[in-house]
Amino acid sequence: MITTHGLSKTYRDRTVVEDLDLRVPEGCVYGFLGPNGSGKSTTMKMLLSLVRPTSGEIHVMGRPMRRSTRRALLGDIGSLIESPPAYAHLTGRENMRLVQRLLDLGEDQVSRAVRTVRLQDHLDRPVRAYSLGMKQRLGIAMALARQPRLLILDEPTNGLDPAGIDEIRRLLTRLAEDGTTVMVSSHLLGEIDRTATVLGILGNGRMLFQGTREQLFARSTPDVLIDTPEPERAAALTARWNATRDGAAVRLPGLDHRVTARVVSHLVHEHVDVHGVRRDAQSLEDVFMDLTGGRGL
Amino acid sequence: MNVRAVANEFAKMRRLRVVPVVVVMVVGVVAYSCVVLTTPGFFESVGDPSGQAWELLLGGLSLAVPLVSPILLAVLASRQVDIEHQGNGWLFSQTAGLSPGHLCRAKFAATGTVVVAATLAQSGLVVAVGGLVGITGAFPTGQWLGYTASAVVVNLVLFAFHLVLSTRATNQLVGLGVGVLGVFVTLTSMGMPAWLAHLFPPWGYYVLATPVEAREVGIVSLDPSHLGVIALGVAGGVLFVLITRLFDRREA
Repeated sequence: MITTHGLSKTYRDRTVVEDLDLRVPEGCVYGFLGPNGSGKSTTMKMLLSLVRPTSGEIHVMGRPMRRSTRRALLGDIGSLIESPPAYAHLTGRENMRLVQRLLDLGEDQVSRAVRTVRLQDHLDRPVRAYSLGMKQRLGIAMALARQPRLLILDEPTNGLDPAGIDEIRRLLTRLAEDGTTVMVSSHLLGEIDRTATVLGILGNGRMLFQGTREQLFARSTPDVLIDTPEPERAAALTARWNATRDGAAVRLPGLDHRVTARVVSHLVHEHVDVHGVRRDAQSLEDVFMDLTGGRGL
Repeated sequence: MNVRAVANEFAKMRRLRVVPVVVVMVVGVVAYSCVVLTTPGFFESVGDPSGQAWELLLGGLSLAVPLVSPILLAVLASRQVDIEHQGNGWLFSQTAGLSPGHLCRAKFAATGTVVVAATLAQSGLVVAVGGLVGITGAFPTGQWLGYTASAVVVNLVLFAFHLVLSTRATNQLVGLGVGVLGVFVTLTSMGMPAWLAHLFPPWGYYVLATPVEAREVGIVSLDPSHLGVIALGVAGGVLFVLITRLFDRREA
């Protein structure tokens, strides 16, 4: 659905996106993750032709995104960039009418979009009286009204309470099931990790990882925990492997199978009783933190 | 011009208090123009066949328009643009294929229509007041129409200027501050020779369009610089199109 090649953006002497090769498969929910300031919004703006890339190519739905093709392509792309767009002095219905008129949409398209985000009972209230979650849903309805093949959402869960986040998650899953490709960014992994089928992790403008959740886990090496009645002594003996005491165990980060065997052998050789050796269960957030250098969450 | 975009701008005016602002603009100008009714000897001159009473009213109108319009035009432009700043409307319009410059031009077309209607209403209502108080002298059609047309042009140029200013400066106090400053420039221009008033567009052009002036000897007809006002309209129009096209090149 989206492919970029060598996509970069530099503002004066500051490079915010560097050599980005995005691959967003059709029909997926693509979770675009990264700490604040990692270049997610700039990338999304480039995909929508709101920001000109310094270099690189963008293909959306098989066509190059250029000034000349932009208008036609945008007809098939719904988006929500930065804060949700809505005129606070107008009602939800009046806002949807503006979208309808601007994009020359039918009544049924607007009604469907409003039903999809479950806002039909609040349409006659002024937007200024909406909660943030309702504003987000209205923004998504505005993006959905044109029945896009691709939906690009920049931090749609920002500022929402857990119930609101869950609602957005369900909505994205539903949209993907209906065949819409969804690209959604967040700096909070927990918000979209269960929704996204493909993840792209950005750090300092560079792609750190792109693939499925399983592929991401496969790239990480969980800590090794060695259970022993002498954790203090065991930690001292394995200090060269960056061991630390963790309760009644010793924690050793980043060890592969071969080194783990050597560590255990070393402890046994030093007459330390080893009661158990196990890998610590690592959350996706831990992996994300590793990849983003601890700035991720 | 995208007709749908213009229609949307009219729809956005709803509940934006555009009507009260326009009513204040019209009533303010008419009320200020009618101050001349309190001039000693005014009611004695209403039957004067030379039409001096009409000229007095026209003088009142040409004084009222530049004093009332600059601030209210700034308010109108600011309200139209601020909703885009507050509602992320620029970005949304862009993603719908409507560039910021295009949106600005649509705003000008829609609210500009309101500005033209308000200016015509100001002029027409002052004429109606003249009729109501019983002025029977010769109506200075040419002078009146000439001034009304000039006021429309200067008001539109000033409105376009404020649209651009409000778009660039997200803090709307800047536009309103310049509106207040505009009144000051207009007042200052009144004491300037015509060549100097030309150097203070667009506010100075209200003074250049003035067709009559009250002096010690009585009301005196002037030679308003209609050419200057036309030049202002053309230059203002060209600049507005060029600047709003530059907005299209700006990155989000």
